[in-house]
Amino acid sequence: MPSIISLIQNENMKIYRRISTWFMIGLLALATLAGALITKATHKEQQNWKAGVASEIQTLKEQLSDEKLPKMYKNHLEQQLKINEYRLEHDIRPVPSNSFWGYMVNSADMIQLITLFTIIVAAGSIASEFSWGTIKLLLIRPASRSKILLSKYAATLLFAFCMLLLLLMFSSIISAIVFGIDHIRTPYLAYQNGNVVETNMLFHVIRVYGLNCATLVMMTTFAFMISAIFRNSSLAIGLAIFLMFVGTEVTALLAMKFKWAKYLLFANTDLLRYIDGVPLVKGMTMSFSILMLFVYFIVFNSFTWLIFRKRDIAA
Amino acid sequence: MKPLLQLKNVRKDIGKKTIIHDLSLEVFAGEVFGFLGPNGAGKTTTIRMIVGLMGMTSGEVLINGISIKKDFEKAIQHVGAIVENPEMYKFLTGYQNLLHYARMAKGVTKERIDEVVKLVGLEKRIHDKVKTYSLGMRQRLGLAQALLHKPSLLILDEPTNGLDPAGIREIRDYLRKLAKQEGLAVIVSSHLLSEMEMMCDRFAIIQHGRLVGIESVQELSKQAQKVLITVEPVEQALSIIKRAYSSINMKPTNQGIEVSIDYEEIPRLNAMLVSEHVKVYGIQTMTKSLEERFLEMTGGNEIA
Ligand SMILES: Nc1ncnc2c1ncn2[C@@H]1O[C@H](COP(=O)(O)OP(=O)(O)OP(=O)(O)O)[C@@H](O)[C@H]1O
Ligand SMILES: [Mg+2]
Repeated sequence: MPSIISLIQNENMKIYRRISTWFMIGLLALATLAGALITKATHKEQQNWKAGVASEIQTLKEQLSDEKLPKMYKNHLEQQLKINEYRLEHDIRPVPSNSFWGYMVNSADMIQLITLFTIIVAAGSIASEFSWGTIKLLLIRPASRSKILLSKYAATLLFAFCMLLLLLMFSSIISAIVFGIDHIRTPYLAYQNGNVVETNMLFHVIRVYGLNCATLVMMTTFAFMISAIFRNSSLAIGLAIFLMFVGTEVTALLAMKFKWAKYLLFANTDLLRYIDGVPLVKGMTMSFSILMLFVYFIVFNSFTWLIFRKRDIAA
Repeated sequence: MKPLLQLKNVRKDIGKKTIIHDLSLEVFAGEVFGFLGPNGAGKTTTIRMIVGLMGMTSGEVLINGISIKKDFEKAIQHVGAIVENPEMYKFLTGYQNLLHYARMAKGVTKERIDEVVKLVGLEKRIHDKVKTYSLGMRQRLGLAQALLHKPSLLILDEPTNGLDPAGIREIRDYLRKLAKQEGLAVIVSSHLLSEMEMMCDRFAIIQHGRLVGIESVQELSKQAQKVLITVEPVEQALSIIKRAYSSINMKPTNQGIEVSIDYEEIPRLNAMLVSEHVKVYGIQTMTKSLEERFLEMTGGNEIA
């Protein structure tokens, strides 16, 4: 019986020996570069950051004086206030988007592009074997269908991971060249247990990347499931992307009216809001969302597995 | 002798339709077994069930005594197969395709890959992308992936499809050699009946998902058959034969007289003609061809 490593090796060969994969990597690099150049061209330099922070503090204070403000907004605003006060006190400049770290944090938006690419790879991973007819020769080897499925899933996630590393690499190189590394020692100001603390910026960037991956993993898993059920990669890609764009909006609308909206997948994919934002529905926490994501993860994967294992191959 | 492949009452329903009806057969090591049947008879479906691509509604397939349903990984490791067209990864080279399948089997070395490539005669093109291959070259690559792990049961669904005459002959000789010298059991399905006749030791003929008959080549040549006798004078011979066998099927042709007669009767007929001073120049048995037998058993060209 083949080891799972050699099966993953096979899947990798099928991913990286195709031109489309390299096209995606090129596109990612290009988008990162374009983003940096656009930021540089359009950003307006702030003359006096202290004045800016001071006026922000003023606005925050006004908002906080409102009695009817819901508690969860209040907490969030108070955090912002404390952090801004800390800035003035310790002379720590906010990170502008046209700086090394500023662009690094913003580059996390590119993860959407990676999500799109990974969905394409995931959808093709199963469906293409059917449309090429190669599934027949693949499944008559001494490797169980479960193992083949696992290797495909692992190779897809590995692809996503490589793309994330590449993005981190591209954006740090491009950011260093385009914006320079003058302010590289600037700390990230975090709010922990009522105190403002200075933490490492790189750590913050990696955390933002990590939290952005929830959607990536969930939509990839979803596309994988659709591709196993319908053996059609366009359908899987289309459905996953449609859900990704519409799902968030619809969930936000539902969340305004109904409490049960918190159980929906897209109410839980934006984990970033728990560190610098407000929860979608009152009472939702990071651990609740992670638990919900885990439940969806298990459900999607079980479906994929049940269907792929039993299906008659008549392609 | 223990059969290498055993089908026990294998049945397949798709929806309400029964595609294979309780099919049972055995294939032994060292034989080339032909799988014949008109279009839609269920040959490919049966092969898919043997290799575990399709589940069975009921029944059992045993490979080397191991159930494909209960212990797939163990049962399949000694099987090499082509199911319908050998579709390969077109964006990979032939060699990368073989590497792919080699990684999925136990103990296939680089040397073994080279050996198989040479065997199927693809040395010159093996490092080209498969999308540049002709149909026959793909068929050869398909054969290569089936042989890679030295299987003891080789299942080929229409392996000669797309091959040139030299290629067909090579494959035929090679399959016979594999069966006779290395003791493989080879199952071949094909529409080319004359081809099958030269290649196979036994045949199963199936139609509408049912086994119509299993025959061996020897049996085939012993059955009631046509004999062409070249005699002079023809008229006299005709009347002698008519006298001896009242209800015989007989037809004078340009070459002589065609008579349908049992194999055992041939010497008696000859003796009779000679004793009546008819000059017998030749007796030629025209073995019933597989094609005739096939048409006879399946009742002509009817598609399921
Ligand atoms: N997925 C399916 N759903 C319904 N019927 C099917 C399916 N696959 C095959 N069949 C039917 O099963 C029967 C057997 O098909 P099969 O492909 O096994 O025939 P075959 O003997 O290989 O024919 P050919 O000589 O044309 O290759 C056909 O009548 C076909 O219509
Ligand atoms: Mg067929």
